[in-house]
Amino acid sequence: MSVWGAIAGGFVGTLVLTTALRAGSEFGLTRMDLPFLLGTAFSADRIRAKAIGYVLHFVAGQAFALVYYAVFVAIDHSGWWLGAIFGLVHGTFAGTALIGTLLPLVHPRMGTPSTTADRRALLEPPGFLMVNYGKRTPLVSVVAHVAYGTIVGGFVSLAT
Amino acid sequence: MPTLDFVRTDGYAPLREYAAIGDGRTVALVAGDGAIDWLCLPDMDSPSVFAAILDERRGGRFALAPEIPFESQRRYVPDTNVLETTFTTAEGVVTVTDAMTLGRGGLDPGREVVRRVDGVTGSVPMRWRMEPRFHYGGAARLTQRGGVPVATDGATAAAIRTWDAGEAIVSERDVRGQFDAQAGSRALLSLAAAHQEPLVFAPRDEIEARLDATTAFWRQWAVERTYEGPWRDAVVRSALALKLLVYAPSGAIAAAATTSLPEALGAERNWDYRFAWVRDSAFTLNALVRLGCPSEADAFFWWLLHASQLTHPRLQVLYRLDGGAEARERTLDLEGYRGSAPVRVGNGAADQVQLDVYGDYLQTAWLYVSRGGRLDADTARRIGEMADLVCEIWRQPDAGIWEVRSDPVHFTQSKAMCWVALDRALRLAAGGHLRRPRTERWRHEADAIQDFVETRCWSEEIGSYVRYAGATELDASLLLMTLMEYGEPDCPRSVATIDALCRELADGPLLLRYTGEDGLDGREGSFVCCSFWLADALARVGRVDEAAALMADLVELANDVGLYAEEIDPRTGAFLGNLPQGLVHLALVNAAVSCERAGIR
Repeated sequence: MSVWGAIAGGFVGTLVLTTALRAGSEFGLTRMDLPFLLGTAFSADRIRAKAIGYVLHFVAGQAFALVYYAVFVAIDHSGWWLGAIFGLVHGTFAGTALIGTLLPLVHPRMGTPSTTADRRALLEPPGFLMVNYGKRTPLVSVVAHVAYGTIVGGFVSLAT
Repeated sequence: MPTLDFVRTDGYAPLREYAAIGDGRTVALVAGDGAIDWLCLPDMDSPSVFAAILDERRGGRFALAPEIPFESQRRYVPDTNVLETTFTTAEGVVTVTDAMTLGRGGLDPGREVVRRVDGVTGSVPMRWRMEPRFHYGGAARLTQRGGVPVATDGATAAAIRTWDAGEAIVSERDVRGQFDAQAGSRALLSLAAAHQEPLVFAPRDEIEARLDATTAFWRQWAVERTYEGPWRDAVVRSALALKLLVYAPSGAIAAAATTSLPEALGAERNWDYRFAWVRDSAFTLNALVRLGCPSEADAFFWWLLHASQLTHPRLQVLYRLDGGAEARERTLDLEGYRGSAPVRVGNGAADQVQLDVYGDYLQTAWLYVSRGGRLDADTARRIGEMADLVCEIWRQPDAGIWEVRSDPVHFTQSKAMCWVALDRALRLAAGGHLRRPRTERWRHEADAIQDFVETRCWSEEIGSYVRYAGATELDASLLLMTLMEYGEPDCPRSVATIDALCRELADGPLLLRYTGEDGLDGREGSFVCCSFWLADALARVGRVDEAAALMADLVELANDVGLYAEEIDPRTGAFLGNLPQGLVHLALVNAAVSCERAGIR
């Protein structure tokens, strides 16, 4: 196991995850756009928001890869299959708590279920498992995160 | 403002009663009774969310009108694409302002239709109903997000927000509400759409500010247009209509905003015009330059180069608005406007051989260079290769400018445009714009084409060029030989052809496209652009009084807000075919400028 493997895996895994989400969007499976959601927390300008969002998404991808690595070290086991399980947990957590519940609470431009009249534009909240962005969003998100976890796990175990 | 005598037939509004609003990405059609019967999302060539114009029961619409009997009058807010409909009822008067807003750089919705209702006098009971049907009459899932009605379908969603427009009642099939528009009151309805991203719920003051900014943008854009001749209102309206058809991301101009509005009621002449035709390119660049739209002209020319690169050196007849070459034709399960099936999306003409497009392409390049544009080395090489291709293929029969679906023949206008292609290539070469031009070969073949046209496509009996080699029929596209400067503008044969077309094809101020077969059932109306071509040709050969009289008649044939469909029924004045039709508005602009240059003030 190597931390460099985790960093490399985090980079490649985030590329694959982002591509998978984008493909899901192109195929009409979801309207989820993670860079847009993240970036609009910092800017109301659409183009700037997407640029910021992509950077944040890659930073988050690296951070989660390091968390995966820490857990691999703690349990003294790693591998693509263990990474896949982590990805499954990660994807479920992202859909329920992280994006589904926490993001609307801290995002300054996102509506919540209790939002009423506001004086500025608000983004549609994701809802439980992000189903507001399409019924198949949880499926797309979990598959993408499992792919991410598999790649991180594989890279960590391969790197010595 | 004329009062609309508004009667729907079997639920369908007369095509003449539609006005267009848009945002440079998509266009909505608003009927005189306040219903939005056509809107595609997210782009003009995307599937529809409202298509009641093609299927009254299943298509979906966004209706907004008084609950009680009314008369309506409409206008665009002067020099804008913001529509104002005034409903007069026994209880009072109310004005509805419709627009698709333009983004201001902030967190704007991806697409937004704004409908503002101002009570003018009395108290008018109003009713609205939105029936979204994604994918050409398909289902929509209607739900609420924090009290906001939302319709979703895969990658596309739309939210309807209202203020002072009554409680929104959401059912499985629609969202509806009603309210009283009191004198001095103002209600607001906004349809905000998103594609591949979350919806944006904007507050009322932002939406109203965006509507004001949109109005200001259009006014400023219209003020910058340069035509000051006698038909200024019609020309500016045409410019604004064309701007609606410009697909902002690429600069392409759609032939029209709709698909399958019939050229003949109940017949099969229903086509998808949400593509950009190479055939329109020379008219487009000419009109944009003449209107003082240099940025739009440049964007269009570079779109044309980009799109045609995929099929180089051959040209497709049409390309997608994003520059793609795929235009597979299929039919939809919709009944069609007043039962005029089939409803088609995609366009099979893309695969036809039409030789005239090479002349249009080279003429466009010549116009671009004439106004100071520069061709890079790669573009110059490709233009030379295209001229070489014309030398090889001009002897083939083709489907002609009108895309007939009968057997290919040697259309006169196609041959003349091949001559135009080589003539413009020679002009570009003479100006030093092409690399290693094969001028001897081009000159030799151009002479051969001219010989063919003058010997095989001229009828001494009729005293005119004819529709195709050896024919006895006429075709309004022969006017393009004058407009595209095939030979001298006032040569006796061109003038005689103009006279013959007036004699044989004219019905009042309108011209039929052609006589003879085209491989399709039914008879169409009069193709409006041909009449403007005639006015243009008359001005160019110096018959200015006839040109001015014809222009005056033709301008009167527009609908109440200055728009044209592809065709007009000469007997009833009814609109036929897709709308608003870019080629008609291009022809109007070019004819008006030609008249102005001929001295008509």
